[in-house]
Amino acid sequence: MIESSQSSGIKTKRFTWENTKQFFRDYGWCYAFILIPLILFVLFTVYPLVMAFIYSFQRYSVLGSEWIGLDNYKSLMNSSVFWTAMKNTLIYTAATVPVNILITLFLALMIFPLNNKSQTFFKAAFYLPGVTSGITMSLIWLWIFDPTGAGLLNAIFNLFGLDSVMWLANPDTALFSLILMTYLGAHGAGILLYLAAMGGIPKSLYEAADIDHAGWWSKLKNITWPLLKPTTLYLLVMGIISSFQVFEQAYVMTMGGPNLATTTIAYLIYDHAFQSFDFGLAAAESFVLGFIIIVISVIQFKFMSTDIEY
Amino acid sequence: MSEVRFVQVSKEFEDNNKGKFMAVKNADFTIRDKEFMVFVGPSGCGKTTSLRMIAGLERQTSGDIYIGDRIVNKAHPKDRDIAMVFQDYALYPHMTIRENMSFGLKNLKRPKSEIDEKVTEAARILSLETLLDRKPRELSGGQRQRVAVGRAIVRNPKVFLFDEPLSNLDAKLRVQMRIELSELHKRLGATIVYVTHDQVEAMTLGTRIVVMNQGEIQQIDTPEELYKNPKNMFVAGFIGSPPMNFVKGRLEGNTIQTAEHVFFVPEHMLSTYKAYQGKEVTLGIRPEDILNLEQLTVQPAHNIIEPVIKVVEHLGSEFLVYFSIGEETIVAKFNADYPVKAFTKQQLYVNMDKMTLFDPETQFRIS
Repeated sequence: MIESSQSSGIKTKRFTWENTKQFFRDYGWCYAFILIPLILFVLFTVYPLVMAFIYSFQRYSVLGSEWIGLDNYKSLMNSSVFWTAMKNTLIYTAATVPVNILITLFLALMIFPLNNKSQTFFKAAFYLPGVTSGITMSLIWLWIFDPTGAGLLNAIFNLFGLDSVMWLANPDTALFSLILMTYLGAHGAGILLYLAAMGGIPKSLYEAADIDHAGWWSKLKNITWPLLKPTTLYLLVMGIISSFQVFEQAYVMTMGGPNLATTTIAYLIYDHAFQSFDFGLAAAESFVLGFIIIVISVIQFKFMSTDIEY
Repeated sequence: MSEVRFVQVSKEFEDNNKGKFMAVKNADFTIRDKEFMVFVGPSGCGKTTSLRMIAGLERQTSGDIYIGDRIVNKAHPKDRDIAMVFQDYALYPHMTIRENMSFGLKNLKRPKSEIDEKVTEAARILSLETLLDRKPRELSGGQRQRVAVGRAIVRNPKVFLFDEPLSNLDAKLRVQMRIELSELHKRLGATIVYVTHDQVEAMTLGTRIVVMNQGEIQQIDTPEELYKNPKNMFVAGFIGSPPMNFVKGRLEGNTIQTAEHVFFVPEHMLSTYKAYQGKEVTLGIRPEDILNLEQLTVQPAHNIIEPVIKVVEHLGSEFLVYFSIGEETIVAKFNADYPVKAFTKQQLYVNMDKMTLFDPETQFRIS
């Protein structure tokens, strides 16, 4: 309140050298503090972004650059590899995000009724894999998917008399294998968010529902699920953004193969930038990816946004 | 029959801080069919726990609860044929008012036409017709409260349970809703169990009142009886605003001798207090039974005191006057036509015909 009344007071003053000096004496230190992160942001985010946007209109390689207009974008649209990568990314996103949200919700629903100590144990247990780096996780999964009997999955298969599967080497199962990793992977952060949201739902709503003849399913469907909508929206948007950017698994485990089966857009960007050194094309791909993510996020917020008040 | 009966019902809680404690001790009472029964008492007295036990939201540790002729000890809330209005209203925030009111009937898989009919009727009774398609957040506190009542009405239950439903409303709205609830009770002819910590609400709404303290029922009676004949000092001190004054003294012959004054006991009362001759007693006097001497047409012979007035609180039509007798602070309620000034000596008459005597040890009324 004080701030706004002071600043509105300054607005009415005439612009003089004295007033300007006074303003900086009063508020200068605020700007000094803001300036540090602002410089870092401009240097490491805005500048690369602008440069990448410029590169996307150039044939830019280590040897030099040449302005080619929309050619990078045109060649993308005509490239079957790009569309395969797009298809793989969409399949990956569609198969991982909704299922993972349901798995997370299911786990949170299981953990929520437990007492505090048990809740803490399960929260930590589910969060821990998330702390491990993606590369390490991918290496562990590489062993799990090992095509010989030494791999965990095939060992289990063999135990039940089933043949070993070439999980990552077979184009039909490679993408599915990467998807499977996420189902069994880190749901910790989502569980924490759901548990916090569940804790925020007033107990009296469930008591009212008990009196209103609502059974377990009716309470889940009509109270819990709708009231968790803001959290679900957040998880959905963040999940889609991160799955559109999926790279590490494809890089460490399959190198985008076999036969492009696990080439995602992010992997393709890496491949074009750091294998083919075609930075212009990679930049164009990055902006297409960014554009798609923005459009999807806007659509989600438009259709799912909510303003629930208790 | 929509009678609710508690037979030796107790409820024990285990708390991390307090350890084990009895929230309700051996409650034994009957709420009659179509009665408006109010549970009143200070925070933590066990009134809400009693209500929640009727609802089935808490399970009693021992004893039996009957609704109608049926024991409901182990029945789920939905199988008790009750409806409840919660303190925070507990409206489903993402549903419209119509959906809120019809949720219970939908769960019961009632036909849509019946649901529509009942919701419309309840909305008409509570003047909610124009709000049916709004969400709870778009409504004022009073309107939300009405919706919560409406949600209860559509179910047409045997018993309505109200858990401090007016405590979140401002004073003016509270008075208005009190009148509406009273009218609603007459219109529906339903059994209502109502919990409040506000004794004015209890006195104005209740057909009968259960006064509770520390898990124990102190007295169950009509508002008038509670006021006139409180069973003990707790009830006397809790019912009435401002509460009854208590002065310690000794019964000597036909007088009560306190630290500063001698009060004469009316002759017709003396036989009642025979057993307490020469013993310590606590004299109970209601604030309105202490009168400004100026307003009396006949000068009384006894029971006149002349204290120094410490504080005067103006309430419009009347004012409250505070002074001391010994260590006790006494409050008197005077008509505003006879103003009194603070820090002056004032002659007051104590109407001993209206006094109540208590045993200071047991705190029970001597009768």
